Amino acid sequence: MLEMHGITKRFDAVVALKNASFEVRPGEIRALLGSNGSGKSTLVKVLSGLVNPNAGEIRIDGNPVKINNSQESRKLGIAVAYQDLSLIQSMNVIDNIVLGMEPTGRFGIVNRKQAEAQAKKVLERLMVDCRPEELVRNLPPSVQSMIEVAKAISLKPRLLLLDEVTASLHHNEVDILFNTLKDLKKDGTAIVIVTHRMAEIYKICEECTILKSGETAAKGKLSEMDLAEIVYHMTGKRPDAVTQAPCNLHETEKEERVLEVRNLVILPKVKDISIEAHKGEIIGIGGLEGQGQSEIIRALLGVNKPTGGKILYRGVDSKFKSPAQAIKKDMGFVSGDRNKEAIFPIRSVAENLYAGKTTKGALFGYLGPKQINGFALRAMNEFNIKAGSLKHPANSLSGGNQQKLVIGRWIALAPELLLLDDPTKGVDINSRREIHKILKECTDAGMTVIISSSDNSELLEVANRIYIFYEGRVSAMLEGENRTEEKLVAAMMGLVSCETGGEAIG
Amino acid sequence: MENSRIKQFARDNQVGMALLISAALFMINIVINPASLNVNTFGSIIALTLLLCFASAGQTLIIITGGIDLSVGAVMSMAAIFTANTMAGQGGQMPIVIAQVIPMALLVGLVNGLGVVKLRLPAIVITLCVSNVVTRLQYVYTQGLPTGTTSKFFTMTLQYRFFGVIPGMSIYAIIIFGIVLYIINRSRFGQQIFLLGNNKNAAYLTGVRSEMIEIMAYVIGSLLAGIAGIIGAGYLNFVICQSFDSYTMLSIVAVVVGGTLLIGGKGSYLGTAVGSLLLIVLGNCLAVLNSSDAVRSVIMGGVLLLLLAVYNKEKPIRQ
Repeated sequence: MLEMHGITKRFDAVVALKNASFEVRPGEIRALLGSNGSGKSTLVKVLSGLVNPNAGEIRIDGNPVKINNSQESRKLGIAVAYQDLSLIQSMNVIDNIVLGMEPTGRFGIVNRKQAEAQAKKVLERLMVDCRPEELVRNLPPSVQSMIEVAKAISLKPRLLLLDEVTASLHHNEVDILFNTLKDLKKDGTAIVIVTHRMAEIYKICEECTILKSGETAAKGKLSEMDLAEIVYHMTGKRPDAVTQAPCNLHETEKEERVLEVRNLVILPKVKDISIEAHKGEIIGIGGLEGQGQSEIIRALLGVNKPTGGKILYRGVDSKFKSPAQAIKKDMGFVSGDRNKEAIFPIRSVAENLYAGKTTKGALFGYLGPKQINGFALRAMNEFNIKAGSLKHPANSLSGGNQQKLVIGRWIALAPELLLLDDPTKGVDINSRREIHKILKECTDAGMTVIISSSDNSELLEVANRIYIFYEGRVSAMLEGENRTEEKLVAAMMGLVSCETGGEAIG
Repeated sequence: MENSRIKQFARDNQVGMALLISAALFMINIVINPASLNVNTFGSIIALTLLLCFASAGQTLIIITGGIDLSVGAVMSMAAIFTANTMAGQGGQMPIVIAQVIPMALLVGLVNGLGVVKLRLPAIVITLCVSNVVTRLQYVYTQGLPTGTTSKFFTMTLQYRFFGVIPGMSIYAIIIFGIVLYIINRSRFGQQIFLLGNNKNAAYLTGVRSEMIEIMAYVIGSLLAGIAGIIGAGYLNFVICQSFDSYTMLSIVAVVVGGTLLIGGKGSYLGTAVGSLLLIVLGNCLAVLNSSDAVRSVIMGGVLLLLLAVYNKEKPIRQ
C-alpha cells in the first residue's frame, strides 16, 4: 500500500535520512526499529507531513504522492500517534479526539452530540478509563497516551503510525491496545509501530524494517530473525549474551563519594534510579533517547522536582529548588541544546564565557569589562576557542566553538560536579575530541563529571563508569573491562537486567 | 555601494544615527524660525532631555530584560502630586515627599514584577492595568483639583541656569546617570539582566535567579520613575493629575530609538539619552510649527512606528 524509496533528509550538516526505503502492506503490522539518531522519527515525520524530504519518492497504491503538510497526510489516510503527544492540554478529551475533523451540521456548526458519540465510541473501544469531559491536563500520562492513540484511530486511517506510544502505558493498557490493533489489522489497516521494547515487537509485529544512521539496514520477517540479529542490524554489534549485569558499585574505598542518588523517582519517566559518583570520576549515562537521562541531570541541578528518592551531594541531602542553588554549591551544567539552554547569542564571547561567574558574588558588586575580558581571554587561550574577537557576539562562532564556550564557562570556575547533557550533539569531530581532552584534564585535577550522551562511542571513550538507563531504571553499570560496545548495546535495548544484590560478581 | 554603506551605518550605529537626526531636526528648526537659536532654547532642550532621561532610566532597564513598563507615566504623575501637595510652596518637606514616593513606587514595581513573573501576565497587560489604578488614585487623592506648588528652593535648583545655558537639573543628572550607568554597565545585576533578556532559559540554567532579578528590574524601574516624578514636579512647578502621562510613550520611544532591543538582551542608557534628545528636539521642532498637541502626538506616534519597523528586527530565541 505504501512505498518509500530513496528518501533523503538533511538538517544543515546532519543527514537524518540517507536514501532510506520503507514499505508496508494493508493488514500488516510492521515494526520500525533503529538506535539513537537512526532516523526513525524523521521517517515518521516525513509521512505525517511535518518534515519535507530533500529527495525521494513516496507511493501510495502505486501512485506517487507529495505530503507537504499534516492536512495532506490526513487526506491520504495516514494517522500518527506520538510519544510526545499532540494533545491540547487545556481542551477536554472529546474536543481533542475530534480536533480537526469535528462533525458539523448546517452552516458548519459543530454537532456536539455527534462529536461526543464519536469520541465515546473510540474511548470504549480502547477501554480508556476517563470522563470524556475531563480536561486532558488533569489526566495521568498513561491515559493521555491512550487518548493520543484513540485520536489517531478515530480518523479511520488506512495507515496508522504509532511512535513510541507504549512507553508510558501500563501492561494491561498495552494488551488492550494490541487487541485493538489486531482488529484493525483484520479490517485491512496498515500499522507501523516504533518502539524500543523488543518483547512487544515479537508479540504483535510480523515484519520489521531496521534503520541505521539514516539508511535502511535490513527488513524481513520477525519469525526469521532473533533478537541478536535485530540488535546487530541496529547497532552493528552483536549484544553480549549475558542477561544479568551489575548495577551497584562494590564498596570500594577509593575516593570520597561526591554524589549519591538513591532510588530516585521523577514521574513519568524516571522510575527508580540509583547512581553514585566519586571524586575525579567521569560517569557516563547512556541509553536510548528519552529513558530518563536528561530528567536525572535536571533533577540534580534543581530544575526537575523528584517525586521520590534521595540525592546526597557531598554527603548532604540536596534537593535544590533552582539551578541557582545548585550552582552556588559548586555544580556546573552544560546543555547540548545550545541555542535554547546555554548560549546568549547576541551577547559577546567574553560575556558568554563569564556568564557562570556573573551569577556569583554580590548582586550590586562591581563587575567591569576588565574582569570579564581578562577572565575570557585566559579561558579562550586555555580551551583553544577560536573567535574573531572577545567582543563579537556568540552567534558569530561555529557550533563547536560555541559549545567549547559553554564548557569553558564552567571549567574555568572549577566546579566540584559538572553535569553535561549530551554536550557534543551536532559538534564537529575536532571540537568533540578537544572537549573530551578538557574533561579528562579536569577530572585529573579532582573535578567530578557526569555526562549523558546519545553517542555510545563517546561514552566508551570518555567515561570511567557507564550507567545505562532503560525505561527509567538502570539496566546495567559498566566498569573497567566490562565497558564494551556489545554490553552497552545489550543494556541499552533492555536485554539485560540488574543483578539483585549486586555483590554476586567477583 | 554607497547606498548600502549608509544602510550599514544606519543599522549598526543606531546611536550615531539618532544624533545625526537630532542635529538635522535642530537645523530645520533654526531654518524655520531663526529666532529660536538662542540660549533659552538650548537650556530648555537640555532640561527637557534630562527629564526624559530620568523617566526612561527604568524603562531602559526593564526593556533590556525583555519586558516593558506602561506605568512609568502614572508613577511619575503620582510622585509629582505627592511632591506638590506635600511641599505646598514650603521648604524642608523633601524627606516627607521621599517617604511617600518611595513606598508608592516600591509597591507599584512589586505588583508589576510579581504580575509578570508569578502570574505570568504579559508585561504590557499588567503594567497597563497598574497604570490605570495609579492614575485613578491620583484623582482619589487630589479629588481632581490642582495641587499646590513645589518649594521655591527646590524649583530654583532645577531651573537655575549656569552661564545662562546649563540648567541646574544637570547636577541631579550627574547623580542619576552615575547610579543608572553603574547598575546597567558595571554591576553583576546589570550583566544578569542582559543575560536574562537575551536568553531567559539559559540564564536560569546558568544560575541567574531569574525570577528575583526580573522582579527587581521592575521595582528599580518604578523607583527611578518616582524620582523622575519628583524632579518633574519641581521643574514644572505646577502639577495636576496625569501631568506626566505622556512620558510612558516617550520613554519607550526614547529607549528604542537609543538602540535598545524591544525583545531584550541589548541596550544602553547612553543610547536612551540620545533617543531622549531626538524626541525633545523633534517636539521643539513641532512646537515651532505651532502644531497642536494632538498633531504632535500623531507625529510622535508615526515616528515610533517608523523606528520600530526599521530597528526592531533582531530575532528572539525560540524557547
